[in-house]
Amino acid sequence: MIRFFHNIKSWTASLLRVTANEFRLVFKDQGVLLFFFFLPLVYPVIYTLIYNPEVPRDLAVAVVDNCRSSQSRELVRHIDATPEIHIIGYASSLEEARRWKNEKACYGILEIPADYSHKLGRGEQANVQFYSDMSLLLRYRSFMSALTDVQLATGAEIRSQLINDAGIIGQGMGGTPVENQSFMLGDTEQGFASFVIPGIVILILQQSLVLGITMLAGTSADRRRRNRGYDPEQVDAPVGATILGKTFCYMFIYIPLVLYIIHFIPVMFNLPHIGDLWDCFLFVMPLVVASIFFGMTVSVLVKEREMSLVVVVFTSVVFLFLSGLTWPRYAMNDLWVWVGNAVPAIWGVEGFIRMNSNGASLAGNWHPYMAMWILAAIYFVTACLVEWCKRRRAVVQNERYLQNG
Amino acid sequence: MQSTGFIATIKREIGRLTRRKAYLFAMILVPLGVALFFLSLMSEGLPLKVPTAVVDLDNSTLSRNLTRSLQAQELTDISMKLDSYHEAIEKVRNGEIFGFFYMPHNLEKDAVAGKKPTITYYSNMTYFVPGTLAYKGFKTISVTASGLMAAEKIVEVGVNESTAEVLLQPMTIDLHGLGNPWTNYSYYLTNSFVPAALELMIFLVTVFSICQEIKTGESVQWLARADGSILKALAGKLAPQTVIFFIVGMAIDALLFKFNHFPMNGSWGAMILAMFLFVVACQGFALFITCAIPNLRMALSICSLLGILAFSIAGFSFPVEQMYGAIGIFSYILPIRYYFLIYIDQALNGIPLYYSREYFAALLVFTLAFLPLVPHLKKNVARPVYIL
Repeated sequence: MIRFFHNIKSWTASLLRVTANEFRLVFKDQGVLLFFFFLPLVYPVIYTLIYNPEVPRDLAVAVVDNCRSSQSRELVRHIDATPEIHIIGYASSLEEARRWKNEKACYGILEIPADYSHKLGRGEQANVQFYSDMSLLLRYRSFMSALTDVQLATGAEIRSQLINDAGIIGQGMGGTPVENQSFMLGDTEQGFASFVIPGIVILILQQSLVLGITMLAGTSADRRRRNRGYDPEQVDAPVGATILGKTFCYMFIYIPLVLYIIHFIPVMFNLPHIGDLWDCFLFVMPLVVASIFFGMTVSVLVKEREMSLVVVVFTSVVFLFLSGLTWPRYAMNDLWVWVGNAVPAIWGVEGFIRMNSNGASLAGNWHPYMAMWILAAIYFVTACLVEWCKRRRAVVQNERYLQNG
Repeated sequence: MQSTGFIATIKREIGRLTRRKAYLFAMILVPLGVALFFLSLMSEGLPLKVPTAVVDLDNSTLSRNLTRSLQAQELTDISMKLDSYHEAIEKVRNGEIFGFFYMPHNLEKDAVAGKKPTITYYSNMTYFVPGTLAYKGFKTISVTASGLMAAEKIVEVGVNESTAEVLLQPMTIDLHGLGNPWTNYSYYLTNSFVPAALELMIFLVTVFSICQEIKTGESVQWLARADGSILKALAGKLAPQTVIFFIVGMAIDALLFKFNHFPMNGSWGAMILAMFLFVVACQGFALFITCAIPNLRMALSICSLLGILAFSIAGFSFPVEQMYGAIGIFSYILPIRYYFLIYIDQALNGIPLYYSREYFAALLVFTLAFLPLVPHLKKNVARPVYIL
């Protein structure tokens, strides 16, 4: 019994030695500091600055008015008055307007047919054409929403005129019998930063951890290569204590960063932030733990300090898409759903967006929360295996060296 | 005695490239893998059938008809029928649905009585694409529904049906998406993100292959093999990489435009030229960083940070002219921006080459911008110091 307590005590002592040593290794390595501090502190700000104008305003549009009537000019005025569209001028022909578009002077062309006012006057349906540049779907989306509004408003105006002219008097004729009203949830202003940043910051948490951890592992591999499989900078401790000791060090560094990312970034930039902070914080904890073990597991691929960048950086793009932020997960095939399920940040992004932007509670996100703990458990085992294999290899290498002299 | 010169440097480099598996991974597997990933992920073009719900408190012929219409269209999939607003909003928060359509008590009765009841619909915009599609689906159904009821009424008063139709929609604005009328997301995202991933890998491989020599001290031998000429040494080292990356780039183009029939409304020649210039421009950019900071770790870190930022700052999603001025200018410091603009002009819109001339010129500038800094690199190549 006493022996048992003694073992626990010495195990804990070695764990704390690993933690202290890891702090030393992290803070003397500029490359790792870059990933552990610069990345989580500065990148969320840079990304938000890029997207912070939120919605495209005053997109340049050229008009080809073949009708040249007071009605057509009024339509153009209505379109110009929408926040999304700015009319840059009248082109004499579609040819000229197209040239403006080729020169990137405008991104859309409005073409009003010669019979526009005639048709309106005769009580026939009039059709106006709008050609949108498709290089960026966000522009197309803005055009669509502006034009739909104009079409409904102009339609209502013309309708009441027609009804008056025709002398139809009836109950409720001026409008429609059923009104409809739309509400946007979460990102109520439909802003781009509000949509994309809550997901990106979670991904930054995971990726910066993985980059830093794999770089530490690569540096250690460099040292091991020079010392017959042993890393002189590593503390002698059991496998479990080594893994957990390092984890304590990274957790200690990341807890303030997590608070900065999930609280101060949304507050600074006025992004959606309606979730309970404490719930969000608790939710992100398994993400940090799972990411640490995930990074330790991935480091098996990193045999050299600088390889960490080559192996890890491009995965950010893949993970961003697997998270479903751009292309929703319900539309993915099973393969990609399962690949995504194996990545902690995919659950993290999903749950954090719901909590931060839609106001869901931690209890409502039980599923992603537990998934991240399960991943943490799995990657803890694999991280221990990786560490064990390293030691095994060192022993074999050393024996061979001693045999061969 | 080993032979020296340009050819000998190329041979040496080919040996180095084939000896390390990391090069195979970074130069071929990652770019092609990312391309296949995007193509398979978004093969449907649009994520239709958004999971949504109806809250039907009326349970009338009208409300059941509306539910059927919502179910029948391709935009929304009514995956559940719920009994209250609270239940529905909870499902949105849990991520089970992306929006819901709410029909109040006495909807039909009030509509007939002319009391103008209101249908409300909620779309979750924290996910842009499904949120927007759900919104579009809800709006179409509710507007046409109330339109049809209005038409019935007008006809009842004695107006003929064709006039009634005009009264409902006196004018339309038909929106045409040039080059991509299907609003296919894969056409749009794959064409920008895959070349950006290629750019990232070219950056990394270029920096890695040069600075690795400095780190290990082999750079002295490298320079000697090229008769002591740094330009010959660089050319011999990078030419084999240019060939490999260009072939990978062409393979990506073939995957997109030929096998997956992405819109290609211009000439292949322009796109092939653009791909070649893009590859050498990326190498030139990475070389510029390497010459300025000939330190493996720093140069590689800077290239990673810029390469990953390129996905956002190059303006594939948010228009550059709408960004803050001080931020927007940074989109022009990366080669991918110009390749993207050439792709828009030449492949998507198929306009004369004349309009893209500046972008081609910009890629050339990137290719050659490192030249003034070469002496700095030479100093480090001749006397390598690796700072740990």
